[in-house]
Amino acid sequence: MRTRKWLESAALLLLGIYLLETRLSGEISYYIAAQFFWLPIMAGIILIAIGVAQVSYLLGSAGQSSTNPDLLLARSPHTQGVTWLSLILVCVPLVLGVVLPAKPLGASAVGTSGIATSLNSLNPTGSTGTFSLAPENRNVLDWVRAFSAAATPDEFTGQPADLIGFVYRDIRFNDQNQFMVARFAVSCCTADALAIGVIVEMPDSAKYKQDGWVRVRGKFQVREFDSHQTPVLIAESIEETAMPERPYLYP
Amino acid sequence: MDVLGQIQIFSTRFLGIFIEAVSFLLLGTLVSGLIEVFVRKEDVIRFLPRRAGRAVFAGSFLGFLFPVCECGVVPVTRRLYQKGLPVAVGITFLLAAPVMNPIVFASTFSAFGFGVVLVGRYLITLVMAISVGLLFTLQRSPAKLLSPGSISTLARSAVGGGGAGIETPQRPHLLPGLIKSLRYAHDEFFDMGKYLVIGTALAASMQTFVPQEELRKVATDPVLSVLAMALLAFVLSVCSTTDAIIALSFANPINGFTTGSILVFLTFGPMVDIKSTLMYLGVFRRKTVVYMVILPLLISILIGIWLNLNVRF
Repeated sequence: MRTRKWLESAALLLLGIYLLETRLSGEISYYIAAQFFWLPIMAGIILIAIGVAQVSYLLGSAGQSSTNPDLLLARSPHTQGVTWLSLILVCVPLVLGVVLPAKPLGASAVGTSGIATSLNSLNPTGSTGTFSLAPENRNVLDWVRAFSAAATPDEFTGQPADLIGFVYRDIRFNDQNQFMVARFAVSCCTADALAIGVIVEMPDSAKYKQDGWVRVRGKFQVREFDSHQTPVLIAESIEETAMPERPYLYP
Repeated sequence: MDVLGQIQIFSTRFLGIFIEAVSFLLLGTLVSGLIEVFVRKEDVIRFLPRRAGRAVFAGSFLGFLFPVCECGVVPVTRRLYQKGLPVAVGITFLLAAPVMNPIVFASTFSAFGFGVVLVGRYLITLVMAISVGLLFTLQRSPAKLLSPGSISTLARSAVGGGGAGIETPQRPHLLPGLIKSLRYAHDEFFDMGKYLVIGTALAASMQTFVPQEELRKVATDPVLSVLAMALLAFVLSVCSTTDAIIALSFANPINGFTTGSILVFLTFGPMVDIKSTLMYLGVFRRKTVVYMVILPLLISILIGIWLNLNVRF
């Protein structure tokens, strides 16, 4: 009983420290969208406050006489109290977060849910901002949005692009010279992560490995892909690059 | 298949949902601990309208005064009954409060933005809670609705002079009060945390290990999706402060669940699940609880299916 009380405090404090550390190390960008980066800070502080309150209570009740009887009886009337099961379950995220190396979603996470080259539902509020951006400054998400809004794929012919993303290929890529420069779009957290990509064409591009990060520069041409006419980025240069600090794009 | 890679993906999805959701859960437990210690709920009853119909309507908004999620709402309602709250108003409060709550609003907004899901969640919850509450105004005798256990506490408070007999806790001093709130939050966090971890694990597994083409058959069916999400909401019992983030993982725009089914998850789930049903049985007669489960279920399923069949989102 007493051991469990101490373990509860330890779990709260460690979980709080983990959340703060995830934010400070920047790994938080593998998990949630940038506009919510303050959440783990708030959560970490609350967890540590609850943990400290519990520790001070345990220390106080060890010394007994000084303890306020009101605090001794303090127990939420809403609950049955903490059980071993809830303690173990609450530790699961801590174990996953600490034991497994942190890694953002990549090509292998696209899985069977597929990857989008155009998608209207990506932006429910409707962004006109995309079109005021110079073509060279648009990211994968901006282009995918622009393709969705376009009347014909020809609109983009000749427009220059400069894109960073991970290399993605699936069974539709039978042409050795094509791959997709892809990103995950995340509005809230990984729960709504959506793979999006722009098709790239360059001779001899098979050497760029699945999931590796690349920077692609080139101009768009219309090509047939998977029996659709689609804008394809004809690459002038491809260079391998490090994963950006924030691997996801935020709609 | 690369097992370690799959576990890695599961872990990233799991932690994303967990970090976002646990923050709202912690905020919720902290606020509910502070309210438990610092707010005298009985003061609020005085502001309720006298007429039953209007009181039911007002009762559906009481939650904004006490931001409690479904785990905290039952003890608060019981306390309000001891102070003379009409049973029907209490039932409306009980059903609406887990959603009528600023923290739930914030988490739903963070997951879905301002749109059909957010507005629909609030409108449908109001319709459900008020219509069920109004039905219960037809039965004026508390003895027919409340469990014998709660009746006896009512009787005792009546003997003590219309509610004044129950000892009203003194408003505590700031620091001891804060520490007490944190200890309440501690218990509630572990209690709700286990449901959050199970719900998050299920949501992350569905995205990682279940072939999406299989899921799509159920997810896009206007009727099956609604029934599936109602069942899922009942079984998962996730706290209403976090359910929007779990629901988000089912609402992926390519092959996700229908909007009607997501709304059922977000309206029926906070009112009725395994955990809250057990707690209702502690306050109400079994027959009352059957109505409190069946009526919200039917209303939400009907609205969900109707939306799926008639509205293009």
